[in-house]
Amino acid sequence: MSLKSTLAITTGKSAYWFLHKFRNGGSSLPGKLTTKIDPDILKVLGKNYDVIVITGTNGKTLTTALTVKVLNQKFDHVLTNPSGSNMEQGIVTTFLTAKKSKNGRQIAVLEVDEANVIMVTKYIKPLAFVLTNIFRDQMDRYGEIYTTYQKILDGIALAPEATVIANGDASIFNSKKLPNPIQYYGFNNQADHDTTADVNTDGILCPVCQHVLHYKFIVYSNLGKYFCPNCGFKRPSLNYQLTSVDQLTPATSTFTIDKTTFNLHIGGLYNVYNALAAYAVGKFMGVEDDKIATALNDPDERVFGRQEQIQVGDKEVTIVLVKNPVGLNQVIDMVGTETEPFSLVGLLNANYADGIDTSWIWDGEFEKLPKMNIQQFMTGGERYKDITFRLKVAGVPDEKLIVEPDLHVAINKFKDLPTKRIYVFATYTAMLQLRKQLADDGYIKEGI
Amino acid sequence: MKYSLNVAHLYGNLLNTYGDNGNLLALKYYGKQMDTQLNVKVISIDDDFKATDFDLAFFGGGQDYEQLIVSKDIPSKKEELTKYINEGGPMLAICGGYQLLGHYYIGADGEKIPGIGALDHYTLSQDHNRFIGDIIIKNKQTQEEYHGFENHNGMTYLGKGEKPLGIVESGHGNNGQDKTEGVIYKNVYGSYFHGPILTRNGSLAKKLLITALERKYPKANLTKQKALKIPETF
Repeated sequence: MSLKSTLAITTGKSAYWFLHKFRNGGSSLPGKLTTKIDPDILKVLGKNYDVIVITGTNGKTLTTALTVKVLNQKFDHVLTNPSGSNMEQGIVTTFLTAKKSKNGRQIAVLEVDEANVIMVTKYIKPLAFVLTNIFRDQMDRYGEIYTTYQKILDGIALAPEATVIANGDASIFNSKKLPNPIQYYGFNNQADHDTTADVNTDGILCPVCQHVLHYKFIVYSNLGKYFCPNCGFKRPSLNYQLTSVDQLTPATSTFTIDKTTFNLHIGGLYNVYNALAAYAVGKFMGVEDDKIATALNDPDERVFGRQEQIQVGDKEVTIVLVKNPVGLNQVIDMVGTETEPFSLVGLLNANYADGIDTSWIWDGEFEKLPKMNIQQFMTGGERYKDITFRLKVAGVPDEKLIVEPDLHVAINKFKDLPTKRIYVFATYTAMLQLRKQLADDGYIKEGI
Repeated sequence: MKYSLNVAHLYGNLLNTYGDNGNLLALKYYGKQMDTQLNVKVISIDDDFKATDFDLAFFGGGQDYEQLIVSKDIPSKKEELTKYINEGGPMLAICGGYQLLGHYYIGADGEKIPGIGALDHYTLSQDHNRFIGDIIIKNKQTQEEYHGFENHNGMTYLGKGEKPLGIVESGHGNNGQDKTEGVIYKNVYGSYFHGPILTRNGSLAKKLLITALERKYPKANLTKQKALKIPETF
C-alpha cells in the first residue's frame, strides 16, 4: 500500500471514529476526506473483495438486504453499505469501516445508485451486477429510462468479465449486446396468452424494430414475458424462474421458485422480484435452496423496516414509502390484497428528495381505490391540495375524505378513524416528518 | 349522460411520461359535471386518424426516444391532423406533442426532426440544460392565470399567426427569452406545462369541453355547462 493510501485510510478512519464518538455519526464525510487524499482509494480498499453491485430504479435496498441475508448462510462476513449510502463516498466509508473477515472469502454486496456504478467499476472489478428494473423516476432529477440504463452500461463496460444477473422480464435489459456473461431471473407463473401493456406504461417499444411489444403475460407495468409480433424479439430463457405466486397479503408473500416455497414477511409483488433477485445471487454464489429459504423466510425487522407497523391508540398504522408511479401502483395493488376494511392516508411533499414535481401522482392508478373496502380517506403533507384533488378525480366522495395538513392533528384524528387498520402512503420527506411527529407525540422512539 | 365526445389520445401509449394522462382524467372529471361522457381512443403508430371521427384531441409529451419514433409515424397522419386543426377541432398538445405540431424540433443527437407544420412554430434545443420548475403565466386578453410545472430542453419560437397561451410571470416559458409560454392557434392549445395542465387549470379543461360541445351540438343549450364553477385545486 502506498503512503498516500495509508494516510488517506487513517484520516478517513479517524474522522469516522470522531463522528461516531462525539456526534451522531456520519457516513459520507469520512469517505469524502479519504478520496480527497487518495482519489483512487477504492482500488486499495476493495482489492480483496468479491463485490456484487446491485442497481436499478426500484428495489435496490431490499434486494441488497435480502442478498446479504442469503449470502450470510454460506459466508462469514458479508460487507454491505447502509441504505442511502449508495454513492461513491458512502461506499468508500463502507469499506473503510469494515471488519476484516478472519478466514474465507471476503464478500461485499453494494447497493449502488444508477449513475454511480461507473464510480465503483473505475476501481473495482465486481464479480457480478444485479439489475432490478428501470422505470420513470422523479423526472426532475433523473433522466429518461434509456439514459439511466446507458449510465449503468457505462459502468458495466469497465468490468466485462463480471456476470450480469438481470431481471429477464424487463425488455430494456435485453436491448443491448454485452460482452459479459448474463443470467436472467423472472416470472413464469401464468398461462400464455396475448396481451399488451396498459396505455400509461413506459418502455414498451421493441428495441430491435420499434414496434409495440406484446406479452404472453404481464406481471406488472412493463415486466413480463414480452415478445415482438413484428420481428420475433422476445424474452430470453430464464436461469431462475418463479413458478407460482401462492398467496399475497399486505404483510406477507408466499411464492415458489424452482420447486422451493418461500414465505416472505413483506407484502407487494414488487418485493417478490427483490426476493427472486436475491435467490438468483444466492444460487450464483453456490448457496443451497433450503439455506436460501431459511434466509428469506426470516421475519427480520431491520430488513423489512420500510413497511413498518406503528400502534397509535388502538390503531395499527402501516407506513409505506411511495416515490414513483410504478412503485405507487404496486403499493396500491398491495393494499388491494387487504381482507379487512381499512382507512387510507396519503401524505404528499415535493421537496428535493421527493421530487419537486408532483405530476407523477397522475400516473398512479388511484382509480382502483374507491373499489376497495376503504372506509375513510385522509390527505395531508405540504402538497395536500394536489393529493386531495387527485383522490377526488379518482372518485373518492367528499364525505369519505378528511383533509388535514397539520400532522399533529392528523395523528390525533387517526384514533377516530372507523377502522383498526390504517395505511399511510407517504413520500420520503413526508414520511420523515410523520415519524418525527409520531416520536414527538410519544408513539415511537426518536431516531428509530 | 346527455352528451358524449369522442376523444383522440394521440400516441397515448408512447408519449405519456410526465403524468400528462391526468389531463384526460381532468377532462373526464369536469365532463361528468357537464353531463358529458368522454370516449377516449388511443391513436398510435400504424393507426389511422380521421379528422371527422373526433370531437377533441389530446397529444402529450414523452421521452426523446419515443418522440423520435412518433416523429417517423406522424407524417402518415399529417393531412388529417392538419385538416382537424384548420377546421377548428379543439386540441391540447403538451411538450413533445406541442413541438410535433410545429415545423421541426432538434433531437437528442442534434438532428433536425420535422413536425407536421400545422402550426407555425419551431423548436431549438439547449446545450445540456433544461428549464425545470414551477411556472405561472397570464393571458393578457382573458386575464386568466395558469399554474404549472415545466421540464423541457426545447426552446420553442412562435410564428406570426400564433398567440402565446400566456406571458410568463415566473418561470421560463417557451424559450426563456421572449416571455411567451405555449400557443393558441384556432382551437389548439399548446404548452410546456405539466402538473398536469388541466388538473391545475380547470378553466382550460372547461374551455376545451365547451368548444367541443358547441361544435358537436350546435343547437344545444349549454347554459348549465358554461355556468360550471371551477374551484382552485392546488
